[in-house]
Amino acid sequence: MNRQTIVMFGSVVLFVAMLFLMNVSNTTQRTRGLSGTDEEPLVVFCAASNRVVMESIRAQYEKEFSRPIQIQYGPSQTLLSNIELSGAGDLYLPADDSFVELGNSKGLLSEVLPLASMHAVVAVRRGNPKNIQVFSDLLQPGIRVVQASPDAAAIGKRTKLALMDANLWDPLKAATVAFRTTVTDVANDLVVNAADACIVYDAIMKSYPDLEAIQLPEFKGIVSKVSLAVVSGSKQPQAALHFARYVAAKDRGLVHYAEQGFQIERGDTWSDQPELSVFAGSMLRPAIEETLIAFEKREGVRVTRVYNGCGVLVAQMKAGQHPDAYFACDTEFMSQVPDLFPNPVDVSRNELVILVKKGNPLDINSLRDLTRKGVRVGVGHEKQCAMGWLTKNTLRESGLETEVMENVTVQSPTGDMLVNQMRAGALDAAVAYLSNAAGAAESLDAIPIVGLSCSLATQPFAVAEGSRNARLAERLFRKICSTESKETFEAEGFRWRDPAPYGKQLVP
Amino acid sequence: MHDTKSPLSIPPTPRNGWSPRPRSDTLFFLVMGGISSCFIVLIVLMLVADILFTTPRNFYDALSKPEIRAALRLTVFSCTAAAILSVWVGTPLGYLLSRYKFRGRWLVDTLVDIPIVLPPLVLGLSLLILFHQPIFGLQLEGTFRDSLGVPITYSWRAVVLAQFAVACAFSVRTMRVTFDQMNPRAEEVARTLGCTRGQAFWQIALPQARRGIVTAFTIAWARALGEFGPILVFAGTTRMRTEVLSTSVFLELSTGNLDAAVAVSLLMVVMAVAVLLVLRLFGTGLKT
Repeated sequence: MNRQTIVMFGSVVLFVAMLFLMNVSNTTQRTRGLSGTDEEPLVVFCAASNRVVMESIRAQYEKEFSRPIQIQYGPSQTLLSNIELSGAGDLYLPADDSFVELGNSKGLLSEVLPLASMHAVVAVRRGNPKNIQVFSDLLQPGIRVVQASPDAAAIGKRTKLALMDANLWDPLKAATVAFRTTVTDVANDLVVNAADACIVYDAIMKSYPDLEAIQLPEFKGIVSKVSLAVVSGSKQPQAALHFARYVAAKDRGLVHYAEQGFQIERGDTWSDQPELSVFAGSMLRPAIEETLIAFEKREGVRVTRVYNGCGVLVAQMKAGQHPDAYFACDTEFMSQVPDLFPNPVDVSRNELVILVKKGNPLDINSLRDLTRKGVRVGVGHEKQCAMGWLTKNTLRESGLETEVMENVTVQSPTGDMLVNQMRAGALDAAVAYLSNAAGAAESLDAIPIVGLSCSLATQPFAVAEGSRNARLAERLFRKICSTESKETFEAEGFRWRDPAPYGKQLVP
Repeated sequence: MHDTKSPLSIPPTPRNGWSPRPRSDTLFFLVMGGISSCFIVLIVLMLVADILFTTPRNFYDALSKPEIRAALRLTVFSCTAAAILSVWVGTPLGYLLSRYKFRGRWLVDTLVDIPIVLPPLVLGLSLLILFHQPIFGLQLEGTFRDSLGVPITYSWRAVVLAQFAVACAFSVRTMRVTFDQMNPRAEEVARTLGCTRGQAFWQIALPQARRGIVTAFTIAWARALGEFGPILVFAGTTRMRTEVLSTSVFLELSTGNLDAAVAVSLLMVVMAVAVLLVLRLFGTGLKT
């Protein structure tokens, strides 16, 4: 065997040895501390700036659940590009929510869980050697200001917008010696004495013991949020949401965020499988039931539904039962529990109609026809359900209340019961919601009530003040606002109110 | 440092064995040495600044972190694997480009340089696209993962591949220069004596190119050590799994841990110098 052959053979052996060692090392690391689990690891794309807090949360979670978490760190934009190109990953945690908005606009993200907020401050070296006290001190000759680029970093962009409104951007820009791509680069400049003052987030100050923060009123309104989002293409959304709920829980992940100097958002109380209680008017059942089932499956939670007439539901709540969320048949029945539900959002509208037998054999075309002698009429109970209350108002406005009520043989707490009685032949006509007739189109016709605006009911959704599962309820609301849900509502005879843009006020 | 071969520069024979250096030579060395020292001084000063910024304690703390030790192991293994692969590919490709004129040689020559001129992040992005976008109905990542059970992206294999993609270009360039500088006459003589092209390459060219191969390996290893952008994009930076020392520096910097970042940087300097010295001393026999 000549020398070249020996060298060649040696290089093959060395190469194989390297591959073997990498494989062994990797396998060892993967199984260390997670023995006994064959679960596919959750892949989290996390901004490098969140590494310290994320590593401590990961350690606690893996210890508690023995489910492996694999975290990819990097710049937020690079990670988002990776998600877009590879379609891989389960969760995305960028440096601030501007990247979440970007990811949402591309359809890459689904559920978003708010974690914390960060406020802009002026950072200086400890002891404030340049004596920076007010905004104008930053503009003095000899003060080297470094800030994040408005084009590359959210804090730079928000600083520019806030200061432009106050006509302070141009002087600060002139005094800035450098714009950096990330906020940590900015702070690092201060540490290595390449700057005298920097605009950074207060949340990063904990990592820089040699720096101190100065609060200036000009920067007070500059706030960014940190949110954790589920990647739309995740193959294990239930597991992803389990970890996401853990990170966003006020007694789990948010504790770590608070320790690292973040101002944390309101979070839910941790539960391995939370139970969300929802009170909803009976009329809404066909419109939301499928959405609730899908929500339970995706989130891995239980939703306890109580469907009933809204008057009954309000009475239950006043008696002490407090659901996490309430979906009322009409605003009237939401406004009766304002302390419990201070921030309702209108989701849909439903109209009252006159239900008659298929083919309308009695030729009933208006409310006046219900006053004819011998017509058996059914209406909702005015105190037990929104439908009854609306019917009473509508009849009163039409001036026919007394005459129609003489023909009323049944006052029911729900529209579904009226429909059943119509189908059983116990009634000739009933005043109910159009949505009540949606499932009985083969046996009933709906006659519209025209010219009376009070015959329209508006359905608001609200999250209970002080709910332990407020964020979970908020995500249910997002699900109800989805396109699929909208289609179901419309198929059931509801009119859509486009509630999504107003959902931000659900959980203050 | 004087030219002993030039027939025009025959120095006068000194009577006592010593001759004063001409004034023009002193000036020459002063100017040349002065210019050259700028670069050397810059490097030395940078290292001194790094050393002054950190402390032995920081260095020790950084090295005692399990994730840094894992990154150190992966760095050594992956750089070595990528460098070996680079030499395996670079040697035949450099030889072909040097010895033969074939149609499209200029194109191959240009393509080889692309990883050198391409911004590193773009190279990583290109690798990511290559493995995830279907090409003629075939998605590489899916094929490797589902059919062979060997995922590439975000694994240590992606680290080696990303390092290889850049390091190999330098290896090819080095090997081509090596073969360019070797007189092909010996190989031609061997062929006239009955050797095939393969035998001439294996028995004549390869032994002569030994120093070039060692240099190519060294450069490829050093390039792989400093590789950052493609690894960040293509392999990710999962601690204990795909984190190498260059990405450790980035991660420590991103969290404001400058002391650890500098300590890891110095560790990389030590590793690079050690490898370069070992290869220089034992690989090529060059001791000056």
